[in-house]
Parts: sequence; structure tokens; C-alpha cells
Amino acid sequence: MNTATQAAQTPRVALRRPRIPFLDREAPLGYLLLAPALLLLVGFLAYPFFIGLWLSVTNAAAGEIWQYVGLANYRFEFLNDRVFLASIWNTFVYTAVTTVFKLALGLFMAVLLNQAFPFQRFVRAALLLPFIIPTVLSTLAWRWMFDPTFSVVNWVITHTGLAVRGVNWFGTPHAAMASMIIVNVWRGAPFYGISFLAGLQVIPVELYEAAKVDGATRRHQFVHITLPMLRPVLLVVLLLSTILTFADFQLPYVLTNGAPYSSSHVLATWAYAQAIQGGSLGVGAAISLVLFPVLSIVTAGVLIALRHD
Amino acid sequence: MADDSMRRRKGWTRRRFLQTTGAATAAVAAGSVLGAPGGGMAAAMMPKPRAGARIRLLQWNSFVPQADAEIRRQAKEFGDANNCTVEIETVSGDQLQPRTVAAVAAGNGPDIIQMQYSWPHLYTASTVVVTNEVNYLLGALGKVHPVNEAFTKVRGAWRAIPYCHVPNAWHYRTDYFQKAGVSSFPKTWDELIVVGEKVVKATGKPIAQTIGHAYGDSLTMWNPVLWGFGGQEVDKDGHTVRINSPETDAALQWAIRAAKAGIKWYPEWLDPDNNQAYHADRISATLNGASIYIREVVEFHKFDKVTGVAAMPSGPKGNFAMNLVLNHAVMRWSRDVDTAKAFVLSLMDKTNYSKWLAASRGYNAGAFEAQNNDPVWKTDPKLTVFRDVVTFRGKPVGNWPGWPAAPSKWTTQSQTQFVIADMFAKAVANGDSKAAMADAEAKLKAIYGRP
Amino acid sequence: MALLSGLRQLSPAQPGPASPTARGGTAPVSSGVNGVGVIRGRRERPRGHDIGDTAIGRWVRIYIPVWTLVLVTLFPFYWMFITSFKSPSELLDFSRSPLFVIHPTLDHYRHLLTQTHFGRWSLNTTIVAVVSTGISLVCSILAGYSLARFRYRGANAIGWGIFVTYLVPPTLLFLPLAVVIKELHLFNNLWSLILTYPTFLIPFSTWLLIGYFKSIPRELEESALVDGATRLQTMVRIVIPLAIPGILSAGMFAFTLSWNEFLYSLIFMNDTVAKTISVGVTSELIRGDEFFWGELMAASLLGSLPVALLYSFFVDRFVAGLTAGAVKG
Repeated sequence: MNTATQAAQTPRVALRRPRIPFLDREAPLGYLLLAPALLLLVGFLAYPFFIGLWLSVTNAAAGEIWQYVGLANYRFEFLNDRVFLASIWNTFVYTAVTTVFKLALGLFMAVLLNQAFPFQRFVRAALLLPFIIPTVLSTLAWRWMFDPTFSVVNWVITHTGLAVRGVNWFGTPHAAMASMIIVNVWRGAPFYGISFLAGLQVIPVELYEAAKVDGATRRHQFVHITLPMLRPVLLVVLLLSTILTFADFQLPYVLTNGAPYSSSHVLATWAYAQAIQGGSLGVGAAISLVLFPVLSIVTAGVLIALRHD
Repeated sequence: MADDSMRRRKGWTRRRFLQTTGAATAAVAAGSVLGAPGGGMAAAMMPKPRAGARIRLLQWNSFVPQADAEIRRQAKEFGDANNCTVEIETVSGDQLQPRTVAAVAAGNGPDIIQMQYSWPHLYTASTVVVTNEVNYLLGALGKVHPVNEAFTKVRGAWRAIPYCHVPNAWHYRTDYFQKAGVSSFPKTWDELIVVGEKVVKATGKPIAQTIGHAYGDSLTMWNPVLWGFGGQEVDKDGHTVRINSPETDAALQWAIRAAKAGIKWYPEWLDPDNNQAYHADRISATLNGASIYIREVVEFHKFDKVTGVAAMPSGPKGNFAMNLVLNHAVMRWSRDVDTAKAFVLSLMDKTNYSKWLAASRGYNAGAFEAQNNDPVWKTDPKLTVFRDVVTFRGKPVGNWPGWPAAPSKWTTQSQTQFVIADMFAKAVANGDSKAAMADAEAKLKAIYGRP
Repeated sequence: MALLSGLRQLSPAQPGPASPTARGGTAPVSSGVNGVGVIRGRRERPRGHDIGDTAIGRWVRIYIPVWTLVLVTLFPFYWMFITSFKSPSELLDFSRSPLFVIHPTLDHYRHLLTQTHFGRWSLNTTIVAVVSTGISLVCSILAGYSLARFRYRGANAIGWGIFVTYLVPPTLLFLPLAVVIKELHLFNNLWSLILTYPTFLIPFSTWLLIGYFKSIPRELEESALVDGATRLQTMVRIVIPLAIPGILSAGMFAFTLSWNEFLYSLIFMNDTVAKTISVGVTSELIRGDEFFWGELMAASLLGSLPVALLYSFFVDRFVAGLTAGAVKG
């Protein structure tokens, strides 16, 4: 504490200025500092959001007058729209599977990169590339790589003997979902990896050394030291990534857009199809918002859990 | 409605003004830009561009870059002649609709928007009535193609100015066909199966087409197949779903048989995929716009000599076709409606339009009678087939998605959700036509049943 | 500044003296506040850890997995690279291996750089990314500090609320936003993007910075306050300089998201010269039913490599910043 006090005393002269009492009270200053962020968010997010909410309970169509219809859109979707129901399932599968893979790969990557080897910096930067390149463009490249006629992936698979025939990437529902998952994991795992790497690097090495002295195996160390210490980072990254994947539009839209026969739509792409291509804005809004309550509760739950750490 | 009477009133005022300030000069000026004025509209009532106006036209990127270049040139010429500015904005076909919807939602955007298919039925309230202009064109250029009319006339009023077709025809490799002992492209769908089997046996190169969500090639293929066997998705009244029928089943069975015979239906192919496969010598025939042929002739020079072009085969219930159809709508928020209208009319001027058709090299076809005899169709005998799938011997060919019902919000939804294509795809995937039909019926009932 | 160097001594959760603390000893990690690792660069030979220092061991445990990972991650970029040099006929010719270029051509790059407005698009994207990131950072710093330090009614709810905004999908928002942008007469104006991008940049940045600010000991500010500084002054002069790694990483994340954005840009920026890279490239190079793959891939590379290079200088900071923010989040 002495060091701090001494250090703080040094620039004392420079800091002494007449106080502004109002701005020094917590509440007013607190709100004031929040103001810029809130202004932007309210104006360009909250306000359109409430309009969107309103859209979902009307029979809105582009350019026409919107009339209130209550929950009719939601009811209609759940009762009559098969593609919608399939898209809910697809969204869950897409999110769950990609998250599991990204988690596993991210951890693997982090543990790996935490060691020493030549060209480390290059590797770290290289692994960020999928995250940096605009999604539209990288997904287009993947489409070309999975192209029904020219897939280089299939070429490699067949010519290296990994399989007899290439995979029909967008031709069956399962393959289409697999292709979406592959591209999403490719794009997202690096973010997980780098985040976990950061988390790993703060873990004191003494903990591991002490554990080794006590005879713990590597796996034991991983499970009982690494994972718990990583938990905060894990939760942050998981939360953000899950939310973003749930609402993911660009990747599924550019890659498959529902192919084959509308079986691989996710909520975001189906909502788009209904609202923009079909002209039913109200229905599209309803589809977009259908999971909002569920996700809010889940998010709140995780955030509360985090706070109790 | 109020809009229309307002416009008419404005027209009156303008006419009086012109009459007092030298109608003759105005008429000559208008006439020189607009070609031979036909009966039906006095030259003085023609929309006159305002000096100093800035208007913008939003359209898709034409496959043939020279066509867009020609449009831009015409825009500049129009602007220079009338002391105003015309901007042409191009986006990819996919991007056109979200831009349009955003403009409609915001009540602001381009002055002229290129409408694909039945969009005028979706965005009716945002478009300006252009009955006068269309009547003028009808007088000058003859009858308009019924598909354009179906798409642009909403409740008796013209909401967009008919523009063109993007005709689709069958491209096939004459060398492969010859090797299989086939001398001409099949005339019926059943013959196609026979030919398809022969060709793939002899050469290993299948006939192939998309059965997926290609907004061009899928619609132009599977709607005609459905109609050719007598199937229809909805009744003429526009509400009663009629997809579940023995005729539809016949069409589905045909597709299943074709797949078994070696014709490849790809559910994952989008519009570019059959082009690429053809250029890469992977397939022996496919249905497409003229882009395949044009690219071979202009760029690749590999298969241009051995590419034949043929019209759609017929089904037991007749010969049907469908093409991508484009029209120009002037939007109600435009501050220079008259300039916009005048510009669109100038695009339709005989000389200008002909230059544009020439630049398109057969990719586009005219919507009006007079444009059927355009010189572009004489530049290459193979190109006449593309004209023939729009107008055959003077009679218009082709229908629209949802035919025989009139285009509407609901037919548009069914079209954008690819209900018909999905039905065929599902049937081919598991061989069960009844289930596919039932599924499509459920989807269509949901769509057409909505108020 | 003496103050700052004095602060460096303080570290309530410091893992140990200023020696390599990270497992595997990649590089000496000088301890910053609260044990946050700021990787400075290799100063001593890296130590293998627990692998067995045999050559085979290193190969199996490190080199092979790492390079496999790099291979898989970078293969698409390699593909983009060679595709951008392939002529269209070679692109469609699969009689040879597609993994190599036989007759490379610069046509695609030439076309991209001279016939399209790629330069302008890059400039636009950069301007939007830089300014919107700047605005978001300022807002996030202020908001983050407020939420991290002050107690007032609604602070928790607002904090939670800011994060929940991620649940609102842009595919829903862009239509009502179009109306807002029209009212503000911002169509075709880069400001339409600069003002709307923060809506998805601020939440995460704020959240990250809250964690980071919380990890800075209150004692520092308290002693400054005792000495007569105002709260604003402590924020500006003490807390923010210490939070630079977190700010940097929030900035990089924001920059990336902004660089990547597509839908708003498509709707709000209409003039060809005003577009951003993603929109401009897909508008111009997808014509009718032909994709111009060579140009598209060239654009993908040119649109991402400069940013990647830039990041490689900051990746260490990025990594460090994420940690502290997360650990104390």
C-alpha cells in the first residue's frame, strides 16, 4: 500500500483541480457515462426491435397497412408450417453440434498452442484468418469447394483414398447440415482456441507442478486444474458463440439456403425467405422472434451463474 | 386510387401549359426520343422529363456485361438530351429483392425498380399506375405478351411497364447425341427419357437439371413439367388447391422414371451450376438461358460448334414453357415520376431496345409483338429458338408460376418457397410420389388459405 | 509514469515473481495487473513441458498436430489463392489436379482492381470499421466503467439488457432500421453504417471491458480520489491506461465484426462507389447465373489479408485482453 500511496502522491499537484460535485456522485455520473451507449442502442436497436415485435403480431406485408392479428402468425407457424418446425430443429442441431466441436477443437488448439514451437506467432495469426475474412466471401469459397460438380474436397478425398466416392455435399439433408457445420466450425473454432489460449496462459504453472508432485496424471491435471480455471472464459465464449450461432444467417444462406428441398433451413434463413422473398413481414418477424423468450431466459441463467462464481 | 386521379389532373394541367407554350416543339422533342408515336396517346400527354432531375434505376446484373453497358450508355444519352441525370444501379439477382423490400418499407429508394416475376402484385401500393404509358407502347409496338400482362396488371391497372423475357431453352451436345444415335432433341418428355438413357449409356454424360432452389432454372423446368402432364397447383379461382391429382402424380412418376433412366436431377444445384457443368463437359444437355451458349461462343470456344439449342418438349397435355420475366415499375416515392416514366419509355424506343437486344446477344427477348422480328434473332440461327420459347410463329408461349390462377401474393409465396420444385425433389429422392404430393398439398393449403 | 510503474508491483493474485508463469513456458509472461499475462516475446529458449523432450515426442505431440491444424485451417485460403490465378477454362477443367495452377493469370486481379471499384470499397469498409469501432469503444469504455464501478438503480438490469440485445437478429431489424435511416436521410451515407454497427459492437465490448475494469483494484482510484482527483480524472488517467490490453482486444473484435457485416451495408449503401467490400464484390461479380470465381477469390484474399497482417501485430494483446476480461467477468 505504501508504494501506491507514495506513487499516488507524486502527481498530486497535477491532479488537484476544483471538484465538480455533481459529476462526482455515483448515480448521476453513472447514468451520464451510460448515456452514449444507451442512446445508440435505444435509437438503432431497441426502437427497431419494438417495431419488429409489433410486426410479428400484425399481418404486415411490404408496402401495405399493417393490422393487428394477435398471435395468429405464431399459431399459424406452429400449426401449419412444416418447414418452420424443421427449421427449429435444424437451428438447435446446428448450434449444438457446432458448439460441441468448436469447444473440443478450441480446447485442443489452446493446449497445443500453449506449448513452444517455432513460428508460433505465425501460427497464431494464421489461425485467426477464418475469423477475419468476411463471412460472405469465405462461405462462397466453401460453396465452390463443396460444389456438386467440382468439389475439390471430394477430389482430395477420392484421390487420397479416404473414400471411394465423393460426398454429395448439398444433395441430402444430412450432408447439407454437415457442410454447414463444417464451415461454421472452421470459421469459429479459432476464436474459441485463441480465447482459451489466453485463459490457459494465466493459469499458474505452480498448480501443475504441485499436482505432478502429488502424482496426478496429465488427464487428471487437465480435468481438475485446467478446466476449472478456464471456466470463466469458457462461459463467456460459449454464451456469445451460442447466441450468434442461433441467429446465424449469412453462412446458411450463402452455403445452402435450405437445399435440398428446404430441409436445411435454419430459423434465420426461413424467416428471411418468408419476409423478404414471400412478402409476409409479419410471419418473418414472428419466426425471428420465436426463440427470443427461451434464449433470454437461458442467457439470464448463464449470466447469473457466472456472477456467482 | 387517389393517386390516379391526381395524376390525371396533373396531366391536364401540363397539357394546357404545353398548348400555350408551343405544344409542337414539345411533341417533336418527345417524339424524337420515343420513336414513332402510335395511336392511343397524344404526344402532348407523354411524360416529359424535368430538367435537373436525378433518377435512379435499380436492376439486376445482366449476365452479358455489354447489355448493362448499353443501358448505361442509353441512360447517359437520355440524360444529356434532357438535361437530367439517370443512374443505373446493378446488384446481383439475389440482392434485388431485399433492396426492393427495404425501399418499400422505408418509403424511399430507387425511382425505377426492375420487377422480377410477379413482384408488382406484392408491392402494388408502392408503384405508380402506368396505364397511359403502357397504352402508348401497345399502340407503338403491338400486343404485349400475356405473361408480362399477367405480372404487371393488378386489378385492371398497369403497375409496371413490360420489359423483357429471359428465355430458357435446352442446350445439348450434338456430338454426344450423335454418338448415341439421336439426331434431334426429343419433342416429348417421354422421349426425353429414352434419349437420356441412350446418351448416358453411349457417352457417360447425363442430361442434367436442377431440382433445387434455383430461382431461374428450377421454375423454368418444373412448372412446365407439371403443366405438361395436366397438373396444376391451384385452381383458376386462385384459392382452391389442386395439386393432389392423378395428373400431378403422372408428372412425379415421370421425374422418378427419368432419374432411374440416368437423367440427373440435382437438388443442390443453383442457377450457376448447370452452366458450369456444361462448360466443364460433365453433362450432355440442360435447360438454361442463353448464357451457356453465349459464353461458349464468346469466351470458351470449346463447345460452341457442337451445342444445339431446342425448345421445351411437350407433355401429354400440351407444350408449356416458363421464362424469367422482367418489368419496370416506377415507384410512388419518386420525386420525378415523369422523368422516370420518360426514361423507361425511352428504353422501349425501337432503336434503343434493338441496340440493347443486340448487345444481349440473345439473352433477352422482347415483350411486345414488334420486338419479335428484331435483327438480333437473325445473327445466329440457333438463337431463334430462344425467341421461339417466347413467341412461336406469332403466338405467345409460356405461363407464369401458379398458372392457371392469376398471379397474386399467394402464387408468389408458393413460388419463392419452391413448393413445386421441392415436391419433385422429394418424390425423386425416395420414390414416393403420393407422400410428396400430400406434403406439397399441405404447404399450398397453408399458403393459399391465408387471408 | 512513476505511478504506472509503481502499479506494476501490485498484483493481488500474482502467480509468482516475474518469471514464466504460463504452462509450457512459451515466453516470459510479465505480470500485469492481477496476473494478466502480457506476452512480451521470447526471451529464453522455450521449455517443453511434460511431453518428454525427445524429438519423437515433440513431433507427435506438437509439430504434427499443429501443422495439421494449420493445414486444415488454411487450406481454403490456399484454394482461394490458386483459384484467383486460374483462368476460367482451367477453373472448369478437372482433367488435371485442381490443386495446382498450370497457366496462372493475373487477369482476375487486374479486372478486380481496374474494372471494379474495389479500391473504393476497401476504403469505405476501412473507414466504417475504424470509425464505428472508435465510437463503440468510447461508448463501451464509458458504459463499462459506469457499470463496473458504480452502484445505482438499474445497473444490473441494464448490464444484462445490453448483452441480451444480441438475441435480436439483424434479419429482423434491418427493415425497421431502413425506415429510421430514411428519416435521418442517411441512405448512401457511410454514417448509416457507422451509427448502426455499434448496436452489435457495443454489447460485447462493454461486457468485456466491465470484466477488465473490475479486475483493476479499486484502491488505485480510491487513493487518487483521496488526493483530490475527480472520478472522471481517475477514470481517464488511471483506469483506462491500465485497461489498454482489454480495450485493444475489444477493438479488434469490433473491427472484425464490422469488417464482416453484410446485410445493413447491402440495404443502406446503394451507389456502386459507396458500397463495402462484401456487398460490392457480390453485387458486381455475381452476374445472372454466372459466378466469376477468379475475381471473387481474388477479392476474398485482398479483402482479408491486410487485416490479418495488421492483426498479427496485435494478436498477443488480443489474447491477453480476452483473458482478464473473461476471468473477472
